[in-house]
Amino acid sequence: MAASSPVDLDQLRARRGADVRGQIFLILLLLSVALAIAMVGAVFYDVIVQAWGILSDRLWDFLASPSSSDPEKAGVAQGIRGSLLIALIVMATFPIGVAGAVYLEEYAEDTWVTRLIQVTVRNLAGVPSIVYGLLGLAVFVQGLRGITGGSSVIAAGITLAVLVLPVVVITSSEAVRAVPGSLRDGAYGLGATQWEVIRSQVIPAALPGILTGTVLAVARAMGEAAPLLVIGAAGFYTTGNNDFLEQFQGAFTALPMNIANFAREPAQTWRGHAAGASVVLLVMVFFLNLVAIIARARISKKLGR
Amino acid sequence: MIAPDVAPAPVVTVPALSSRASAGLLEPVAFLVVAMGIALVEYFVAGLFADFGPSNFWLAFVVMAGWNAWHFAGAQTALGSLTGHYIATTDGQPASVLTIAVRQLARFGVLYALPIMVLDFNFLTALLVWLVVGAVVSRMPGSRAPWDLLANTIVVDGLGKRATTVELPPLHSAADLRLAPARARENRRAARLMLTAGSASVVVSVLIVWSIFTEAWAFVSDSEFEWGILSQRGWFPRSGQFDLSTLFVGTLWVTGIAMLVAGPVGLGVAFYLSEYATPKVRRIVKPLIETLASIPSVVIGLFAISFISPKVLTLFISDIGIFSILAAGIGVGVLTVPIVASISEDAMRAVPMELREASYGLGGRKVTTALRVVFPAALSGISAAAIVGVSRAVGETMVVFIAAGGNGVFNTDPVEQGQTITAAMASLGAGTDQIAGSGIAFQSLYFLGALLFVMTMLLNILSDLIVRRFRQVY
Repeated sequence: MAASSPVDLDQLRARRGADVRGQIFLILLLLSVALAIAMVGAVFYDVIVQAWGILSDRLWDFLASPSSSDPEKAGVAQGIRGSLLIALIVMATFPIGVAGAVYLEEYAEDTWVTRLIQVTVRNLAGVPSIVYGLLGLAVFVQGLRGITGGSSVIAAGITLAVLVLPVVVITSSEAVRAVPGSLRDGAYGLGATQWEVIRSQVIPAALPGILTGTVLAVARAMGEAAPLLVIGAAGFYTTGNNDFLEQFQGAFTALPMNIANFAREPAQTWRGHAAGASVVLLVMVFFLNLVAIIARARISKKLGR
Repeated sequence: MIAPDVAPAPVVTVPALSSRASAGLLEPVAFLVVAMGIALVEYFVAGLFADFGPSNFWLAFVVMAGWNAWHFAGAQTALGSLTGHYIATTDGQPASVLTIAVRQLARFGVLYALPIMVLDFNFLTALLVWLVVGAVVSRMPGSRAPWDLLANTIVVDGLGKRATTVELPPLHSAADLRLAPARARENRRAARLMLTAGSASVVVSVLIVWSIFTEAWAFVSDSEFEWGILSQRGWFPRSGQFDLSTLFVGTLWVTGIAMLVAGPVGLGVAFYLSEYATPKVRRIVKPLIETLASIPSVVIGLFAISFISPKVLTLFISDIGIFSILAAGIGVGVLTVPIVASISEDAMRAVPMELREASYGLGGRKVTTALRVVFPAALSGISAAAIVGVSRAVGETMVVFIAAGGNGVFNTDPVEQGQTITAAMASLGAGTDQIAGSGIAFQSLYFLGALLFVMTMLLNILSDLIVRRFRQVY
């Protein structure tokens, strides 16, 4: 033992040579990260620069006026209204998704019913959004015309609610799964029924996670244009003196539809409108995210965690 | 420690399959008779609803359900009295009037009301649906049909002929925890409600498949349709040219270009975040890149024609127009980056630390560890990420609709305008192809939808299989 000389680390390192491949690899990785971040930056930069003219010129007018064939007058009021209504309808259907997630995580035993539900949820999450448009067209626009009134904001809202249902189920499932079993055991030990355990322990503990997932789902629903195209959203429509029902069952449009229509106008003047509408949509989506973050923080605080 | 006093599993006899199927066969006949009777009464009373149509069936469901529940409170349905079937609850007791009413309403709803009223079938098609659903799904021996799950019932055999004995799952009722009936009821009701909500996704799937494929079938079986119109070069629905190869070429280009962008960038980001980034850097970079996923695709479409084409691509290709397959493909790629990045990063982070440590212990460098140890171990997840990315790219609509120009001429040059499956559907739906609400051009929308649905479904199943088949369990 005494004869062996101590290992000379410096000598070992020198014999190994410089880590050229490692350096090149790291540079490539940093390049791809930089490229991805540049994409995010470029999107925001481009949209804001394009929208600057119209937003600094006539911000309020742009937000408050309906669509028009005159670039000087056209605005996104109808789109904002449509998108908000759609968001409301989508939110109203969230309990179904959350309940489905609770079923899968808390009740389901390994039966063919459970497996069928799991497989369909996973597959539905991967179905392209335009296919949901076809479903909306066939079932909600044509099949249930009596309730939805045809191509209406109700049909659009239900279609988008169906579109985000799998997302809601999957994210809520993850939130419910993350609730520690000790919480459940404690409540069971006090004699609570399964439903009481779920209502008083599982759902409150999972609520921050559920909320994040559902807000992301609303954001996604608000940004979808393809299903709306298929179920026949108008580019713009003329508003008369609509009665209450017609507000929901009549012609409608939404912000993504506005953007798509402005963007497809051949004249360059409309590009600014498209960018302006994009900024409005992005602001709405980020505002939603902000609300979710704040709500999440408050709930977590209330739960004492 | 008191052992929980679990009630023994009740044993009931369930009618044999053939016996139940023959009993079920009588049901539509009974319905027809009741519905015709109602139509007849209506004819004489009002003369208004002389048509024998869906409204009669609505009434027939209610009448049948009510009659069953009222008249056969001994837990037998109308047809059950002919064949000796009883409805029992899952603890083996005869079902109550209300339970039978709920079960029958749910059953009639699924078998009759749904096909006829909601899906607008005619009676013959509805009969066909009944035959398939009723004969196959509802009559599996021992297992219970959806409406049985809803009402918490099971069909048992009263005559004992050709019966199968079924042991029901044990009831978890610890005797020392006697539950107030109201709480127990609430508990049961909640469970049922959750199951109903959970089945919503199955209903949605069935509706999608059904609505798309019937219309797609209508397209293929239209009198104007012949297989030749699917291969005359060019996609012009207005003039009856439905060339699929035009759309496939466009879709392939867009998907290929998107993956060329998203594959390397997404994988690079994943490697960096999982292997190199310090937790602090990761906390900043990861949300930043995920922002990309929350940008609506219309905005990326706008980005493609206002930035990618005029500001980036013109640097390399001087004569490129604003609208091109290339710009659309890059736009879709931008959208796909976060998907590829986050799924592959998850896969890499799932590789256990021990593998990396073993590699370091053998003198492996960071790059060697990443490429020779982590990469192979995460390969199933990474290939799943690639497939999910492809499936997203194939299904992405708005970027292509806005940026590819929507020209239906057959074209293999990505610098020119082009059309993909999704963009063609969007054009049809948006009415830019000037088609009315019916006719073969409109139905081609559903035909494309069916194609797209099958393609993405296969891709998703493939990615699922890869993950399951090759996942290493550590």
